Amino acid sequence: MVSEEIWALIQIFLFPGFFFLFFLAFFTEWVDRKIVAKFQNRYGPLHVGPKGVLQPIADFIKLLSKEDITPRMADKVPFNLMPVLLLSLAITPLFCIPIVGSNALVSFEGDLIAIMFIMSLIAVLVFIGGWASTNRFSTIGSIRAGLQLFAYEIPMNLAMIGPAIAAGSLSISKIVDWQIHGFWNLFIQPVGFAVLTISLMAHLQRVPFDIPEAESEIVSGWIVEFSGKKLALIRLAKDFEFVLASALIVSLFLGGPYGPWYISPIIYLAKFFICVFILSNLRAAFARYRIDHLLAGAWKYLTPLALLQIFLIKVLGV
Amino acid sequence: MTFEIPFGPQHPALEEPINFMFKIEEERVVNVKPRLGYVHRGIEKIAENRNYQQLVYLSERICGICSFAHALCYSQVVEELLDLKIPERAKFIRTIVAEMERIQNHYLWLGLTAKEMGFETLFMYAWRDRETIIEMLDMISGKRVNYGMSTIGGVRRDITEPMIKRMEESLNHLEARAEYYTKVCTKDPSILKRTVGIGILRPREARALCAVGPTARASGIPRDVRADEPYAAYGEISFKVVTYRGCDVASRMYVRIDEIKESIKIIRYALKNMPEGPIRVKAPMRVPEGEAISRVEAPRGENLHFLKSNGTDKPERWKIRAPTLANLLSLCRMLMGVNLADIPVVIAGIDPCIACAERIALIDAKTKKLKVWEGKDLWRYANEWYRKRYGL
Amino acid sequence: MEDDMFRNLKEKPVTIQFPYEHVEPVEGVRAKVSWDIDKCIGCRLCVTICPGNAIQLVGRGRQAEIKYNVGRCILCGECVDVCPTKAIYATKEFELVFNNRRGMITHFRRKKRKRTS
Repeated sequence: MVSEEIWALIQIFLFPGFFFLFFLAFFTEWVDRKIVAKFQNRYGPLHVGPKGVLQPIADFIKLLSKEDITPRMADKVPFNLMPVLLLSLAITPLFCIPIVGSNALVSFEGDLIAIMFIMSLIAVLVFIGGWASTNRFSTIGSIRAGLQLFAYEIPMNLAMIGPAIAAGSLSISKIVDWQIHGFWNLFIQPVGFAVLTISLMAHLQRVPFDIPEAESEIVSGWIVEFSGKKLALIRLAKDFEFVLASALIVSLFLGGPYGPWYISPIIYLAKFFICVFILSNLRAAFARYRIDHLLAGAWKYLTPLALLQIFLIKVLGV
Repeated sequence: MTFEIPFGPQHPALEEPINFMFKIEEERVVNVKPRLGYVHRGIEKIAENRNYQQLVYLSERICGICSFAHALCYSQVVEELLDLKIPERAKFIRTIVAEMERIQNHYLWLGLTAKEMGFETLFMYAWRDRETIIEMLDMISGKRVNYGMSTIGGVRRDITEPMIKRMEESLNHLEARAEYYTKVCTKDPSILKRTVGIGILRPREARALCAVGPTARASGIPRDVRADEPYAAYGEISFKVVTYRGCDVASRMYVRIDEIKESIKIIRYALKNMPEGPIRVKAPMRVPEGEAISRVEAPRGENLHFLKSNGTDKPERWKIRAPTLANLLSLCRMLMGVNLADIPVVIAGIDPCIACAERIALIDAKTKKLKVWEGKDLWRYANEWYRKRYGL
Repeated sequence: MEDDMFRNLKEKPVTIQFPYEHVEPVEGVRAKVSWDIDKCIGCRLCVTICPGNAIQLVGRGRQAEIKYNVGRCILCGECVDVCPTKAIYATKEFELVFNNRRGMITHFRRKKRKRTS
């Protein structure tokens, strides 16, 4: 009835919908920058808001007000559309991850496959955006993004299928349900957890795999021609992808939220920030790899390990 | 598909403006063409209007990081023209400050190379440890860069007992950190993958292209001015010339980290055996006629100054040959066949200091003779070029 | 690297938050110089030796006044060493900010003697 629709609207827009996700993305970026700064013996964001919490919001608003330049030779339509599409593709999968209780806002049989498809679409969009910029540096960046897609996509998809095979369902909510009544997948499939974390670092384009946007070689790679509002939307999309990656690891391997409706978000957020800590730690500890090292390493180590994990699931019957 | 990619003059990988035009085919470099001239400041021309004592301060400001090496070289060349004998204590103090500058430069280089590889954490750690040595230099000379320590006839400030005590603590700390960086750089897999086998310079090519400094020592050539032609107090201190045989960027890294440890040993020996006495003798303002050359081992390689005097108190001609200028040809040879992603690492491997290297010499290609241009020739050439290019 | 990184999590950051925190200058820091004008005899040694042409003498002999331009000074301290009457002394001010070029020039005047009739 009416109260049901109002309840649905509150859930979609406030919590755990748009409002909550926006704030979670900004807060996650602050946590990431602070952790990396603490590892490097410096302060990180400090002055905007208490302890610098509002710094990502200040960066976003500043970028929105800057001049928006389109190069003369660029392809206008893909160039202007790409940031908006990137942002919408990055937010959409987050509605399928359960945050309150073990049922997400949108859950159907096969939403795991839909999320995998959307993540591949994001990488193809990166390639189109860099290609449409018609700049030497962004062309090299987009070619590298395409090559990187070859390297990490198969191990990532195999590692995500592992928990689905064990739980016997392709819906993230059902996988979380299965873990609540059993063990966390982290203890049953540790190899899958490691493969998924490394492949997600490659998908997010973070050090050591930030090859398409390597700063010291090709001056920001495929992002180099975007400025002003488009750059603000691209950076916000990157934050949302980070939230999506941590949320996937939490739901598929760390058991997701459980308990009554007033405790489960807190447990979910605690596990979420543990994943953020692990990903930030990996970012601060390595140098940047070259694209041929990444391709060779991914096909020599990651894919066989992921196949081994699936084989073990079938053999051990878990 | 052959790309033509410009590197610089503004680029995040380079600290100083220099332009390279690369021809890239499938992510490998096929051809490289360097262009200098963006930081030319006319130092050798200014020198014709200043007296010898003022030029000590100008020589310090040729480069910000190897500033003491240039000041030392200049003081030595003027003292040779004047036939002046400086006190023993001054020679030891000069040696100590030169070695401290070498330590400071190598820590800076380690941080910069880590940043080119994308390893921000090592960059922050190396520059944090560099603060220790900079504070020591600040305590001795009063400034963090461009220390006005060397002058014609000796040094300007003395090293006292409380300073020596504090220096010993810092030297112990720096030696421990240098050991740690050796461990990191020989064991960390991501650093090893990015530096081993990159930027190869064979010993035969290094000799033919006149490489100097750690670039040559990493190819196995034991070329070091401190051992070949000792100046200041190096004749009385025994030290090891560090060479490695790897010929790649990783060997250059190990050479520099080992040189930090050798410098610490030299400083400890010099502090313990410093003779007493005055630190400065008075030098006359006018220099008799003559020509002289002085060579010094700057942190980047061999530094050479040539001075010609004509009996007044202003020099006639001062020529500076910085080590980076000698390493540029080797750099162009190293960059052929290298992957696009490794270009910043190779460029950072020779420790480029472009500000030192800006000199103009015009050679007529057909007759192979050196032409000297005056100010009005330069002006006329510049105006003609702009007129032709913009069709005015 | 991991062990060192975790140790650094517990330590205090090494950054100094300038301008809220300041660095103490060391004992012999090279900073702005200043004049004790009554000791100056107008010998012009400081004017000749200054590498940046920052000192200008107005007048002659014992009535000479000094114009010192901080903008051209390279903080070398040669004038302090060379002055025969030790009229120039070094201060510790190194945080120098001005709003216009005229503020950079300091004119050291002599006190006018009263006429006794």
